[in-house]
Amino acid sequence: MKKLFLYTGFLVIVFAISKPVAAQCDGDGLAQACVGKMQDGFTYLKSFKIDGQGGAKNKVEYSYVFSKDTQYFLNICSSAGDGTDGIVVTMYDSNRQMVSTNFMNGKFYPGIVYPCNATGIYYITFTFQDSKSHCGGSVLGFKR
Amino acid sequence: MKRILLWLSLIAVVACSGKKSSEDALIASLDSLKLNQPLISKEVMADIIQQIPSPLEISFLLKSSGVKYDFDMLNNPNNISKYNSSFEKALNLGIYGTDLGYANIYEQNQDALFYLNAIKSLADDLSIGQFFDFGTIRRLAVNSRNLDSLLLITTQNFNNINTFLQENQRSNLSVLILTGGWLEALHITCQVAVKDPDNEQLIEKIGEQKIILDNIKLLLGFYVNDPFIADLHKQILELEKAFSEIEIIYKYAEPTFQEVNGMLVIKDNSTTTINITPQNVEDIRKGVASIRSKVIS
Repeated sequence: MKKLFLYTGFLVIVFAISKPVAAQCDGDGLAQACVGKMQDGFTYLKSFKIDGQGGAKNKVEYSYVFSKDTQYFLNICSSAGDGTDGIVVTMYDSNRQMVSTNFMNGKFYPGIVYPCNATGIYYITFTFQDSKSHCGGSVLGFKR
Repeated sequence: MKRILLWLSLIAVVACSGKKSSEDALIASLDSLKLNQPLISKEVMADIIQQIPSPLEISFLLKSSGVKYDFDMLNNPNNISKYNSSFEKALNLGIYGTDLGYANIYEQNQDALFYLNAIKSLADDLSIGQFFDFGTIRRLAVNSRNLDSLLLITTQNFNNINTFLQENQRSNLSVLILTGGWLEALHITCQVAVKDPDNEQLIEKIGEQKIILDNIKLLLGFYVNDPFIADLHKQILELEKAFSEIEIIYKYAEPTFQEVNGMLVIKDNSTTTINITPQNVEDIRKGVASIRSKVIS
């Protein structure tokens, strides 16, 4: 019986120590920080967590139906202040052809404005280039 | 060791078989909707659900087109007493959610408060009232200058509800809320289009809904073992016939890029052409009106 309690106690301690390491990416918190950095005139639509699980995942993907004649704004927030910490967002149409990105000529832009000209399902894909945290948040807004 | 496990099992059985409080009974009734879990993963379900656009986009389109606010098009908040089952409550929560967004965008504060009360009541009945920050929303709703914050907080609250329901194997309710919200937005657009048949943007918006209808059909199709959802699914399949002639022609062209104020502005060179006739619009209007009248009455 004593052994059982000792073993259980040991497991509890191991979990208590290991859990914070696995839960390091506060994607929700970073996405919330992104809300305040939305460009004026845009209305909030969705938040996205970008959790690359410390580098274990090389891609985080979401999808959304974008509408013609609507402007969309997407920004990225990371723990690296105003920078994106190597997080790249690329948007693809339903045929997986690239329609937009925040990485151009070697520069990472913290936000992109995408005036949609064609209604359809689009993929919002986050990847990492030399990212330290592999962790971020993002917010999608729109205006007409 | 065996003894300990036996005792723990016994305690669990006794705890689970005790007399149900009214709250337990309510939760049990809610759970009746989750008996038939779909045979697809939670992730795939979440992927399809998140694609569905916010009804706010349509309300903004209406306002920017110069269309006047019309309360008579909406579901009256007093109808709330008619909704008894979880199925009815979830669908009408979605409908009232769209109506709330519409009233907010047109800065109709009093109507917005009526919808807010209806939403609170339905959300509480569905045990998801805790996700609405009603105090803050009410405070924001009385002043038109708070529109951005109001839309932000209500949208976030609905998003949190969807996430919660999906994480707790109650995606069926999430699907019903989204279906209700979509139906109401389409209904409002069709009603306005009838009065303004030359508004091409509105007509195209109706045609574009063919894409969303595919998602709604797919989502409801996962729950056809539930007789209420099966019936709704059947009605959506009827509505699909009205959309069948609509063509959405997509042409891809590489985008071009420009830096403006530190942000990358993209020029989307792709296009879509939407072929839709006045008869198509009329058929869709009738189809939506038929489904909606059953849902709200």
